[in-house]
Amino acid sequence: MEDVLIKIKGMMCEHCEKKVSEAATSVKGVNKASSDHKKGQVKVSYDTSITDLEDIKKAIAASGYEVIDEEEACPVPVKQAVALPPVKEEAKSGGIQKTTLKLTGMTCASCAQNIEKVLNKIDGVKKATVNFSVEKATIEYDAGKVNPAAFENAITGIGYGVAKPETILKIGGMHCASCALNIETALKKTGGITSANVSFPLEQAKIIYDPEIVSIPEIKKAIENVGYTASEKVDKTEADREQRARESEIKKQKINFIIAAALAVPISLGDMGRNLGWAFVPEVLKNDYLLFILATIVMLFPGRQFFEGTYKGLKHGVTDMNLLIATGTGAAYVISAAATFLDLGEAYKHTYYDTAALLIMFIVLGRYLEALTKGKTSEAIRKLMGLQAKTARILVNGEEKEILVENVNVNDIVIVRPGEKIPVDGNVVDGLTAIDESMITGESIPVEKTVGSEVIGATMNKTGMIKFTATKVGADTALAQIIKLVEDAQTQKAPIQKLADIVAGHFILAVHVLALATFIFWFFIGFEYFNVPATFGMGMISPFLFSLLISITVLIISCPCAVGLATPTAIMVGTGKGAENGILIKGGEALERAQKLDTVVFDKTGTLTKGEPSLTDVIAIKGAENEILKLAAVAEKGSEHPLGEAILKGAKVRGIEIPDAQSFKAIPGRGIEVKFGGKRVLVGTRKLMTENNMDITPQNSRMEELENQGKTAMLVSSDNEIVGIIAVADTLKEHSKEAVSELHNMGFTVAMITGDNRRTADAIAKQVGIDIVLSEVLPEEKASQIKKLQAEGKKVAMVGDGINDAPALMQSDVGIAIGSGTDVAIESAQIVLIKSDVRDVAKSIRLSKLTLNKIKQNLFWAFFYNTVGIPIAAGILYPFTDPPFLLNPALAAAAMATSSVSVTLNTLLMKRIKL
Amino acid sequence: MENKTGYYSVAASTVTSILIVVLFYIFAIQKVGSSPQYTYTDVYAGMFYVFLLSMIVSASIWPGVIEKRLKKQ
Repeated sequence: MEDVLIKIKGMMCEHCEKKVSEAATSVKGVNKASSDHKKGQVKVSYDTSITDLEDIKKAIAASGYEVIDEEEACPVPVKQAVALPPVKEEAKSGGIQKTTLKLTGMTCASCAQNIEKVLNKIDGVKKATVNFSVEKATIEYDAGKVNPAAFENAITGIGYGVAKPETILKIGGMHCASCALNIETALKKTGGITSANVSFPLEQAKIIYDPEIVSIPEIKKAIENVGYTASEKVDKTEADREQRARESEIKKQKINFIIAAALAVPISLGDMGRNLGWAFVPEVLKNDYLLFILATIVMLFPGRQFFEGTYKGLKHGVTDMNLLIATGTGAAYVISAAATFLDLGEAYKHTYYDTAALLIMFIVLGRYLEALTKGKTSEAIRKLMGLQAKTARILVNGEEKEILVENVNVNDIVIVRPGEKIPVDGNVVDGLTAIDESMITGESIPVEKTVGSEVIGATMNKTGMIKFTATKVGADTALAQIIKLVEDAQTQKAPIQKLADIVAGHFILAVHVLALATFIFWFFIGFEYFNVPATFGMGMISPFLFSLLISITVLIISCPCAVGLATPTAIMVGTGKGAENGILIKGGEALERAQKLDTVVFDKTGTLTKGEPSLTDVIAIKGAENEILKLAAVAEKGSEHPLGEAILKGAKVRGIEIPDAQSFKAIPGRGIEVKFGGKRVLVGTRKLMTENNMDITPQNSRMEELENQGKTAMLVSSDNEIVGIIAVADTLKEHSKEAVSELHNMGFTVAMITGDNRRTADAIAKQVGIDIVLSEVLPEEKASQIKKLQAEGKKVAMVGDGINDAPALMQSDVGIAIGSGTDVAIESAQIVLIKSDVRDVAKSIRLSKLTLNKIKQNLFWAFFYNTVGIPIAAGILYPFTDPPFLLNPALAAAAMATSSVSVTLNTLLMKRIKL
Repeated sequence: MENKTGYYSVAASTVTSILIVVLFYIFAIQKVGSSPQYTYTDVYAGMFYVFLLSMIVSASIWPGVIEKRLKKQ
């Protein structure tokens, strides 16, 4: 008897394992075979006097899987989520250039050869060499024929990755979406930066760069050069730092507002009191020089930020909302100062200090409220960051020692008492407790943990003391991964945001054009045509001042702040709410696609079902049920077959004692034969029984009935007499039926995809109410089945958990991975359900719809303000109203501030909705 | 190239703005001649404001146009 491990290529799932094991055990002389698709191997126990290794390998190869020698083994590389730029580029004469790429995903020298081959095939590549040990590809190419992006595509196309350095910088000084665009533009113009994504609400920039061309200090300088501040993000104290920065901004704008309000009130009373002849206003307040001094204080202190921002921006050729405000308030202030100190004529007796002061007051109020509400939209991330335990107690030489959580190493033994937080991820080695995992999974009921159970960092130990081995620390913990995923999602832009970005990007220019056109119209045409001197209720006014006031109003009301905030705030709140409920959404694109779905395809095994067989039926033909089960369990005790394990588990659950059999013999493809209590016990297929001269006809109908329900039925015999039937099946998860029915209620067509035969698949489908059953689908065909559904015009979401589901998850419009699934599935999906509860599929779709609706509402209101506000500000109502209506610039400022605040508040309403 | 773009952009923006201001001046002077409501203060103040807005607008448009031209060359 000999045990051997054979490496297999092509196994993707448990079905493959079963196929390979069956192929091996079908060889005469093979006693046992157990496959592991994750390790890509099968362990075979065989009698060397009957068969040899070659025969076993041939049998496995005949079943459709490739048998490989260990030294040739080259697992399918996992496609990296990241990919990008050349590490070094050197120009050579004659258009020939050389570039070096940092590679990921290589596992052996033949991977390097694969990459070399594919690179050398590209037209324009002179020579490509790949070094496996340093994981670098050096390519000489003709720059006229090909560019480095083609190399990246070729490499990622065969399943490898190109590594990219990435950094996140905290940005200070942004006031609107235009600021974010300005920084993005400045960064993209900086050599060595291949990608820059700046989030205005998160106040951070995610930059992909080439460290050999540009350094972090240089990147920071590029940002500072366009008038903003940049600092490196330190994850450890991020929550505190973000909080401090937010509080500092709130405090700054609050002080600015108090100063502006305190001065704007007397300025307005004085200026308007004089212009309108209000007698109750003290004469001293109507003094031009006093008004000038007070207005100058407003301009110098609360108003300085707008002029500073404009100056910094203009110095580098960029414009933002500061320019709009600076132009508007500056023009009002300058013309008033000129009227105060110069004799400009009768029509220039009016001053507009009140306009400048009120404008600044309202805009500063808007910024203060925006800072207050913006902080709330990123609450989810801050909450997640705040969950992390600060310290951990570890065992050092048998003694407990309290250390900072970042000093915990993998394999340290960590001790956690009741009421304490689990500091890092690990496996329990001692103790029994219940842990509240609601902060990570959203599951409200504490989960029991005992030796061997996994614990998640940041969860709360409730009842007992446990010791566990740290398995994941620092950035590898589940919490750190969740934070990264949510942050990434919040930094990514949804396709719908492109519209907002285009508008915000060109808005400042368009508004200035509009303000200029408005000024020229009212100066040359409107002033005389509508007989303003006679109809305008403010006494004598010059054409210039009248046109200027209208032009300023247009500048002030047109700020694109609300447009810029509409999408990112909704995505932040949506993804944050998802994270709180155990639903991780990887970015705005997934949210947008989920909106259009009409079909949800579930993988069967592990998604709708538990993925492991369990005992379902025991039918006693002779004797009691428990006796039959005991016989079957005794027989299966020596078996490693999953069906045998299910029977053993079932017997243990019923409290049946399972003694050892006297002898054990596995009969490949048939079942098991043991001696127990002096009797010969057989457990297995119909064939096993008929080969042992037993009549199975009376049991056939019951067997078929069970098989029609998707169960695997086995006969049990004792001394050549059939005594019972045992059935085992992959059972449904607790909430599968509810999940499917919820999706039906939402109007979705629900499909199930499985490699099982039609009968088994139909049986499961019937139990949960599936509309479309896609059975007997080989793992590699799942993606093409999804494609077929898409070709019928359906928008498909695929829900799966296994490696074999990854291509289908990628093919679908929205891939939804179950959190307990494989890393590959999670990487391939756009939505991850941490709780592994299939009911969350409906929740995640609902959340996506909710978020997208909120984005649409926000964009509508943001555009509505501008669409309605700009024509009114430009004086469109003047000819049609009596007395003629003109929007006051101060009112325009109030409306502008309201639009930003109302968009943010509308987004925050999402937080109150229960999913 | 960046220096060239900056230099050409400032020159182009200034020329464009001056042209717009000159046009404004020509029309505004006619207004002063034809209507008593218009004064030279209106014209000069208007010229300043028009120049300011024209500079902002043209300084936003020209750099992109010039950069494209220079790249083509």
